[in-house]
Amino acid sequence: MSAVRCVDLCKTYRQGDQDIKALDHVDLEISDGGFVCLSAPSGGGKTTLLNAIGGLDKPDTGEVWIAEQRIDQMSKGELAALRLSQIGFVFQAYNLIPVLSARENIEFVMQVQGQPTALRRDKAMAILREVGLAGLEDRRPAEMSGGQQQRVAVARAIVSRPALVLADEPTANLDSTTSDGLMALFVDLNQNHNTTFVIATHDQRVMGYAKRLIRMLDGKIVDDIDQQAA
Amino acid sequence: MKVVQISFLLASRNLWRNYRRTIIMLVAISVGAWAMIFMTALMRGMVNEMLRDGIRSLPGLVQVHNSAYRDDPSINNLVSMTDIEIETTFAAAGIERYATRVRVPAIISSERESRGVTLLGVDPLRERSIEAVGSVIAEGRGLESIDDNGIVIGKKLAGKLDTEIGKRIVLMSQDPDNEVADRGFRVVGLFEANLAAQEEAFVFAGRTVVQKMLGIDGRVSEIALTGDDYRNVELLLADTRRLMDGRDEVLSWQELDTFLGTMLGVMDGFVLVWIVVIFLALSFGLVNTLVMAVFERVREIGLMLALGMRPSGIMLQIIFESLLLLMLGLSIGNALAYASVIPLKDGLDISVVAEGMEMFGAASVLYPEIQVNDVVLANVVVLTLGLIASLSPAWRASRYEPVKAITKV
Amino acid sequence: MAVNIISRLAWRNVWRHPRRTWLTIGAMVFSNALLVFMISIQFGMYGLMIDNTLKAFTGHMQVQAPGYKDDLKMRQVVPDAATLAEKLRSELKLDRISARSSAFALLSSEDRSYGVQVFGVDPQYEPGVSTIPGLVREGRFPTDNNAQEIVIGKTLARNLRVETGDELTLLGSGRDGSFAAAVAEIVGIFDSGVPDFDRSIAEIPLGFFGDVFFMDHAAHSIVIVAPALSAVEEYRPRVEELLSPADGLVVHDWNALQPGLKQAIQADISSAFFMYGILVILVAFSVMNTQLMSVLERTHEFGIVMSLGVTPGRLGRLVLLETGMIALAGLVLGALVGGLITLWFGYKGFSYPGMDQLAANFNLPSRFYPQVTVLTLFLGPVFVFAGSILSALYPALRLQWVHPVEAMRSLQ
Ligand SMILES: Nc1ncnc2c1ncn2[C@@H]1O[C@H](COP(=O)(O)OP(=O)(O)O)[C@@H](O)[C@H]1O
Ligand SMILES: [Mg+2]
Repeated sequence: MSAVRCVDLCKTYRQGDQDIKALDHVDLEISDGGFVCLSAPSGGGKTTLLNAIGGLDKPDTGEVWIAEQRIDQMSKGELAALRLSQIGFVFQAYNLIPVLSARENIEFVMQVQGQPTALRRDKAMAILREVGLAGLEDRRPAEMSGGQQQRVAVARAIVSRPALVLADEPTANLDSTTSDGLMALFVDLNQNHNTTFVIATHDQRVMGYAKRLIRMLDGKIVDDIDQQAA
Repeated sequence: MKVVQISFLLASRNLWRNYRRTIIMLVAISVGAWAMIFMTALMRGMVNEMLRDGIRSLPGLVQVHNSAYRDDPSINNLVSMTDIEIETTFAAAGIERYATRVRVPAIISSERESRGVTLLGVDPLRERSIEAVGSVIAEGRGLESIDDNGIVIGKKLAGKLDTEIGKRIVLMSQDPDNEVADRGFRVVGLFEANLAAQEEAFVFAGRTVVQKMLGIDGRVSEIALTGDDYRNVELLLADTRRLMDGRDEVLSWQELDTFLGTMLGVMDGFVLVWIVVIFLALSFGLVNTLVMAVFERVREIGLMLALGMRPSGIMLQIIFESLLLLMLGLSIGNALAYASVIPLKDGLDISVVAEGMEMFGAASVLYPEIQVNDVVLANVVVLTLGLIASLSPAWRASRYEPVKAITKV
Repeated sequence: MAVNIISRLAWRNVWRHPRRTWLTIGAMVFSNALLVFMISIQFGMYGLMIDNTLKAFTGHMQVQAPGYKDDLKMRQVVPDAATLAEKLRSELKLDRISARSSAFALLSSEDRSYGVQVFGVDPQYEPGVSTIPGLVREGRFPTDNNAQEIVIGKTLARNLRVETGDELTLLGSGRDGSFAAAVAEIVGIFDSGVPDFDRSIAEIPLGFFGDVFFMDHAAHSIVIVAPALSAVEEYRPRVEELLSPADGLVVHDWNALQPGLKQAIQADISSAFFMYGILVILVAFSVMNTQLMSVLERTHEFGIVMSLGVTPGRLGRLVLLETGMIALAGLVLGALVGGLITLWFGYKGFSYPGMDQLAANFNLPSRFYPQVTVLTLFLGPVFVFAGSILSALYPALRLQWVHPVEAMRSLQ
């Protein structure tokens, strides 16, 4: 079964009097339990593709399927429910809600899902320990470093064990040790819970962890390498 | 329900992010709420006092007259029952707070001056039971029984007639055959009233004395009945109508004094208009604050939507924020209003415009009255309209495209 | 040139957030329109209230014996009143001057008696100082100063069960306290539309009154109507000059004769102005909020400009200029909307439920036609304008404490 399937996706942005093809006839299928890195230089279309897969943005043409469900024609409410139950997000920037503490940010999704208070508190504390932020649970985003904030965002994305995690440059603000720790966490989830990962990055170390590496340039997929075989 | 919780938590935290703006808005709402309730309390105080004065001078909440009496208040138009019949009928029905009165136009003369007045033949005990004008004695004594030979007149009138306690005055009116009926009385007491006009208009004598003087033994001009609440006279009116069995005209105070009756309605209308006007003046600032708040939070609203919060959750946050702001402002405003009437509980002296107030039928000392129903009305109206006013910014916020919000730099 | 750039900059800043600016202007327009409308109605009503009340009976000034105004005692008289009235008419070149007396009397018909206030009026000149002669609907007003004739109100006629041509007996006491009695023929019945008023007043010729009540050529007052209400102050000293000091008479203007009138207006003005003040304050807070936001979000920008050497004072003036532009828009639009609403009601007439009842108490019609004047158009809006500028002082002055480097570090 495929976790993600994109058929002939196109997305054009207008910048001034110039048309920019952020996605240019992209076809892509990722199977359940995949661990995929999207790599492209800045402006290559990584974020646009992740947004399309996550149902945050609608492609101009083409189809997006998540777990055998076509999502590009879903209503906002259906998309919200889908994201809530199946997808974990780590965004490129601006990941946290400023007025909530680290723990509350992590609990946010679970709370919207309607999980009981005690349960979600335990889960949040456990995941904070896993990402190495034990003791910082009451800090607000403004009181944490960029790396710490990024780890909170990752913790939030994986805390309710979604089937699919979309991460947009998750290691951009992290030092190498922390990056490695984070990737180890991802790999662990991928192996033990069969969670599918799609990670946009231009960090070589991250690409090293991937089972499959997809290279993009100017909105086109230019290379698709199975790294497990290698 | 978890969404409601998190929305409420976010709203209460967001409220203090831009604390300067929140405080300015809070002050504005508090001033508005204070003004609504304080102004209403002043007006209510004035109008209620007016109504009480008016009802004291009618007197009563319901009156019974011969059906021709109101157009022609003469000795010939008397209540169909005799005073004894009235007493037995009312006693049987368990009605206690009523007074039977002879009420005729008359001329009062001292040695030097004459004035037109309304002569009232009253039963002093019953007068007190209906709290009629004339029961507050400033000098001398009040009437002691229905056959008291003395007369009680207003303090102002005594001055104009150049008379005083112990002196004699002559009252002149007509008997049923239109013969001049006159009688000398000794002034035994001077009464005081809130309105100067009342002190000049009425003179009181014992009922049987007046009946004898006018030659109408056992007959009266009016029955005045009172109750506890001037807003609710329907029951008393119906009871009295039943007792009088269609023979006489039974009217409520609103019908007897249409100016007073209208005043109450106009006052209720004014309170509502005043509350709505203040709210509207506030609403622009409120909507502005919300629009700014939403504008500043484009990114986090987008983030929450991206994480799977439904648009309704976003709407809820903005509405909660607005309601919290309003409730906080209202609480402060209500407290201020209650606090600001405390120093005025002995009355606000506006006697510099006493004669002007008398034109309204109002007294020259104003006692602010905070009525619970006005306070409830003010708060409910502000919250309801506030909710409606926040719908548009809340709706806009919930319509944000998550991706635009996220990628916005 | 510089002014041009500054004001262009201010204008652009005003429109950075059009929705916010319009909401702020909206608050001003709402309050201004309401103020224009309310003040137009109020001032118009005051004028009518004064005119109608004085026109009915009181006139603009009265010459009386000292104390008569408050005590209304028979013996407090103006001696030789007809002669004095004639002298005033010729010296002042005014013909709306008339002598008048009053007494309480019992009026009896065949089968009814009522106590009323009987006025002795000069048939020739009374129509100039009172509306009652003009309200005679049945019969006529007396013409002969000594005729034994009487005019009564409609309600009283009904209560006394009489009509024109019938006779009434007057009983009362004369100037010296002695018994006064007379018989008079009803020649006219007036209808003022206020039943209680029509029950309590009767008028007889002044000469006849003098005979009945032993006035000996004296009267109680000389009523004077000046060419305009505003001319009262000018005429009053001239009237005083013409009085002979030996008589010790006094001149009361309308305000002394009807103290309730001005006080009712004052009471109404003070409660209304309290309410208007609240509106102005609420608008001011709205403006303060907007301008504070606009200053805060430009902290970074202001930091840059300050580091280039622009003084906080100049930036403060920029903020005030922006406020002035918004406030001016609010003033113009508010006065326009308010003026149009007022004009519409001036054409259609304004009324509210219950107004007919209340209005009658103050001699006002039940439908009112407000008029726009420069005063009513701009009085309210000018206060709103001033309040707005004042409220912008806080955000403008805040700039004094902004440190350029700190400001530049701030994100927004
Ligand atoms: N909202 C937008 N409006 C206009 N152009 C956009 C927008 N979002 C992305 N682009 C353009 O689309 C292209 C792809 O962008 P993006 O997907 O963000 O690339 P990456 O994430 O690989 O850096 C870039 O040229 C970018 O400038
Ligand atoms: Mg990107």
